[in-house]
Amino acid sequence: MLDLVSLNVAGLDFTTLPQQLVNGFLLGAIYALVALGYTMVYGVLKLINFAHGEVFMLGSYGAMFASWMMGFGPGGSAVAGSWVTLLLMLLMAMLVSGSAGFVIERFAYRPIRNHPRIASLITAIGLSLLLQYGGQAFLLEGKKQAITSKVNPFSDDFVFTPKKADAALVAQAAALQPEVDAAQKAFDARLPFEKSKFELSPEGDRLNKALAEITAKRDSLQNQATTSAVTIRLPKGKLIMLTTTILLMIGLWYLVMKTRMGRAMRAVSVDFNASSLMGINLNTVISFTFILGSVLAGAGAMMYSTFQSAPIDPFSGTAPGVKAFVAAVLGGIGNIPGAVVGAILMGVAENLVTWAGYSSYRDAIAFVILIAVLLFKPGGLLGSNKVEKV
Amino acid sequence: MQFNFGKWFGTRAISVIVAVLFCLLLDKVMQGPDKSYYRFLMSLAGIYVTLAVSLNLINGITGQFSIGHAAFYQIGAYTGAVLAANKFSHLAATKPLLWLFLAALFGAIAAGLAGLIVGLPSLRLKGDYLAVVTLGIGEIVTIIAKNQKSLGEAYGLSTAKIESVFLISLLAIVCIAVCRNLLKSAHGLAFLAVREDEVASAAMGVNLTRVKVTAFVLGSAFAGAAGALYAHTKAFVSPPDFSMDVSFLILTMVVLGGTGSITGTTIAAVVLFLIPEKMRDLPYVQMGTPLGVAIGIIVAVVLLRKIQESFHGSASERLGRNLGSVGIGIVVAFVMAKVLVMVPAFQSMINGALFRMPVLAVTLVVLMLLRPQGIFGHHEFSWSWVQKLLGKKSPETEVAA
Amino acid sequence: MKIGGSNLNILALAAIISGALVGCDGGSASSSSTTPDSNATAGGGAAAPTTGSRKAPAGEGFKVEGDTIKIAVVTSISGDNKPWGTDQLDGCKLAVDEFNKAGGLNGKKVEIVEGDTASKPDQAKLAAEKVLGQGVIGIVGEVSSGNTIQIAKSAFDKGVPVVAVGATKTDLTDEGAHVFRVCYTDAFQGPAMAHFAFEKLNKKKVAILTDNALPYSQGLSDSFRAEFKKLAGEDSIVADEKYESGSKQGTDYQGVLTNIAKANPEALFLSGYFTEVGPIAKQARAAGIKAVFLGGDGWDSDTILAGAGDAILGGYFANHYNNLDPSAEVQGFLAKWKAAHGGAEPSTTMGALGYDAMAVTLDALKRAKSLDSKGLMAAIEDTSAFKGVSGTITLKGMNGNPPKKLIVVEVVPKTGNNWQKYATSYTPDQIK
Repeated sequence: MLDLVSLNVAGLDFTTLPQQLVNGFLLGAIYALVALGYTMVYGVLKLINFAHGEVFMLGSYGAMFASWMMGFGPGGSAVAGSWVTLLLMLLMAMLVSGSAGFVIERFAYRPIRNHPRIASLITAIGLSLLLQYGGQAFLLEGKKQAITSKVNPFSDDFVFTPKKADAALVAQAAALQPEVDAAQKAFDARLPFEKSKFELSPEGDRLNKALAEITAKRDSLQNQATTSAVTIRLPKGKLIMLTTTILLMIGLWYLVMKTRMGRAMRAVSVDFNASSLMGINLNTVISFTFILGSVLAGAGAMMYSTFQSAPIDPFSGTAPGVKAFVAAVLGGIGNIPGAVVGAILMGVAENLVTWAGYSSYRDAIAFVILIAVLLFKPGGLLGSNKVEKV
Repeated sequence: MQFNFGKWFGTRAISVIVAVLFCLLLDKVMQGPDKSYYRFLMSLAGIYVTLAVSLNLINGITGQFSIGHAAFYQIGAYTGAVLAANKFSHLAATKPLLWLFLAALFGAIAAGLAGLIVGLPSLRLKGDYLAVVTLGIGEIVTIIAKNQKSLGEAYGLSTAKIESVFLISLLAIVCIAVCRNLLKSAHGLAFLAVREDEVASAAMGVNLTRVKVTAFVLGSAFAGAAGALYAHTKAFVSPPDFSMDVSFLILTMVVLGGTGSITGTTIAAVVLFLIPEKMRDLPYVQMGTPLGVAIGIIVAVVLLRKIQESFHGSASERLGRNLGSVGIGIVVAFVMAKVLVMVPAFQSMINGALFRMPVLAVTLVVLMLLRPQGIFGHHEFSWSWVQKLLGKKSPETEVAA
Repeated sequence: MKIGGSNLNILALAAIISGALVGCDGGSASSSSTTPDSNATAGGGAAAPTTGSRKAPAGEGFKVEGDTIKIAVVTSISGDNKPWGTDQLDGCKLAVDEFNKAGGLNGKKVEIVEGDTASKPDQAKLAAEKVLGQGVIGIVGEVSSGNTIQIAKSAFDKGVPVVAVGATKTDLTDEGAHVFRVCYTDAFQGPAMAHFAFEKLNKKKVAILTDNALPYSQGLSDSFRAEFKKLAGEDSIVADEKYESGSKQGTDYQGVLTNIAKANPEALFLSGYFTEVGPIAKQARAAGIKAVFLGGDGWDSDTILAGAGDAILGGYFANHYNNLDPSAEVQGFLAKWKAAHGGAEPSTTMGALGYDAMAVTLDALKRAKSLDSKGLMAAIEDTSAFKGVSGTITLKGMNGNPPKKLIVVEVVPKTGNNWQKYATSYTPDQIK
């Protein structure tokens, strides 16, 4: 196996590389769920649904209200959630998002479907503004909320250690532990005679300094031990997210490739007018596509706000929305596997940038990569690159 | 056609002099400390007109889908601000107007260069792919500004304060004139051809590269000049002034006015900018009132659309029905507002300021639903068009763009 | 290439413009020579008020006409910062109601003129210009520095005093003699937390995580970094990472946290707002970071507990006042707030700071020698030892920056409404 610890190129720390790749992959999986909605709508309508981020935002509100109904709200009595709680929240988020997607398509996009699609783009921007700022007035006064972390019983990690810590260092650190304990005990015994933990008499201060010194010595050894190891943490919450994403994608693939509705969707995506001549009900297919895409966004929203404790407010959909849109384009918009590939590439790229020490330019470099890819593959990674004929 | 140079130059000279005099007059009217609010409004309106018309050149006329126009605006603004704060602080203090003119020039050059860099890859990209690249450029520029100590990071940068309604309105007029004259020239037809069909126009001998890059560079340069003027009007530039929202707002102005129509874009820019501003005086209302109004709007829009789709009577009859629908909408809004505020759940008071942006959003959606081609469609303002509206037959119907 | 009409037109215009420019230089432009900021923000960490006198505003200000005294509250009523802005507005209203109920000023009542900045700088400028057009004699400013500077610049031309609420940017008050604030500055808060970490918690290695989208967070991190380096040595900052709130990054911080975990700091300074600090704290514990969390007054909202769960417990942050403080100012304010808001406490610090900013203005109004902006400005400048909710405020000779006491509180499990435990306090003299 490659020795990651001794590898040292340009000051990069290769021991964290595997972890960062895992981080990127898991992050990409979330982007993918939202990106799928963009790409499916684009596939059938050739329309960038800029209100998709707001559908996502409504989904997270749905999940939050569901958790409140189960007693996790402000002043609620529930103590700990289980997988049933999470499932109910997921269903609620999908329901809210799905309905929002249906309503938006029916009343804002369908009436102007026969006009240039830039008009739909403006209604999309208008709707997105309306939901954001209208939400500020009507949705809990637009206060910043968060789903309490109590609902999530799966907050610990699986830890893998491909390379163990240096045993000698660990032993040395452990050997210091009794001394630390003793110093702590001495200080604790002194504490009742002090005004507070932070306003100490000279005697207390002396004990405190001694404690600090020995603790620092132990921590330094522990630190060396940790640095010598290579560990990969897989947060359980994220694994659930990944599994759900994969399940939903398999479901989506089955739906698109194996069912009548899926065939209709593909037909509409190939040729809008011809498919309607072949007896496909365009309205149904487009409504269905919108609902499907929105439901996926709702699922993403619930997992985002539960497992990552993402803050919820009327503007919280913009961020994932834009990222997912970029991912969808990167993969080749309108192409379902492309959205997944693009999203995962985005996630990994962002984490690699952070790993290399440029976290302040994380987004900028992600966009640079996107532009570079598009320059070589103008139709996106998996998109078709056909030249229009006259 | 006979070319009469004297007449041609005469009209040109007169229109230029009229434009300059108009700007000077505007400047004079807006002087004085008590008018600073209106002066700033006027300046911003002029800047937004420049931005919208310059994006229209890229987006509406040449058909290159750019949603990152704020990037060039920002480059111009920071160029002006940084130069005035460092290299040219003396000039900015002693000869403010001359410096402002130079700042606009420097801003235009910097943004134009950036436009060149973005324009080149745009040759390979189409539609939404280009859109994402321009969006990305916008983000990259903002992120760089947020990370540079010398650019004031996320806080921003102070610079010399030079207000000049004269230069701002002149810039807007120059921008409009350049776009209009370009459209009237043989080159302009090439731009339109590229919008309609790239492959066909290339086959007809249009130099795609030159057209696209010219559009990008020219559009970006105007945005850059507007940025430099903006920086000095506010005496401060900061990253949030150039966020994605601003790009979207400019794009909205272009589409709402009628893609490709300079007149429409100009009017939409002023209207869209003024809507949230005029809404500042909204009072505190009970929650039921805006909900009632929303229901009224929905009813009116549904009725109007029904008339649009299925009514085939005379023009006056149609107008009557349209007015009737609006009336019904108003009545419904009024009644619903009264009824809803009786429900205890809808009685809480909401600050009217919260409805500034929703009103803008509703305007966008409603206008797009009722007139998807934009206020002016592809039409332009022209005297023969006015004559036609007044019922006179005009010798030539002028439908540009 | 043939010269098209457009080109000639431009040439002709250019000729005329240059003529016009030379002719009317200085004439039609209203120019004030604003000296550009040096932007050296971090500074040596001293909490000392900026020395040297500030320049007097250009305008003459407004006079009170009739029986109403108009004072503007310009803040983020809508937009991203709404939670902070509305708290400020409510706080200001409380102060004004109290003032008017007590009879106002010789029968004259104070009226609030609201201006919405929509959390955006250019809207802030428009709002300021609008309220200034209505003849307000004073402005209570914004919760963020980036928007307050716009208000300050407009007010400079008019000569109207501005009392900023939550704008902590250190050089903000250099804008002119009309700018004051009731909060402490970044140059005090960051170093105070650095001293706390080094001296009280005995931490020698810290990591910093900054929200690059917030000037507040950048300024706080800068001053903390500079002071901690002075205290603990150049290589005491083991990791210095950035994220952006409210932008395209969402809330995945695994990348930066993996880097920080590797550096194994003893303390992690989180200078952002509670909205992001909550999830960060939770994800940090999950990523194996054992460091103690430190932060600024941006943490002050119990929403942080919902996002972070137990992870944030034991963290320390700088605050203005403590809900449990038995002083009459704090308890009186809380009682009034609860009465007006159905028993709820203010969800952010801006409630108390907004109340204080307005109270300082109203207090100055009573002492003002003349009922106009000039009199008000002089009276605000004269404020000394004003007992506010967020501490004692003295503005006399301080160049607008009150030397306030800062308290450090520990996050403890929530019992009733309380989740903060007083740890220690700092005064500006202690940091110097």
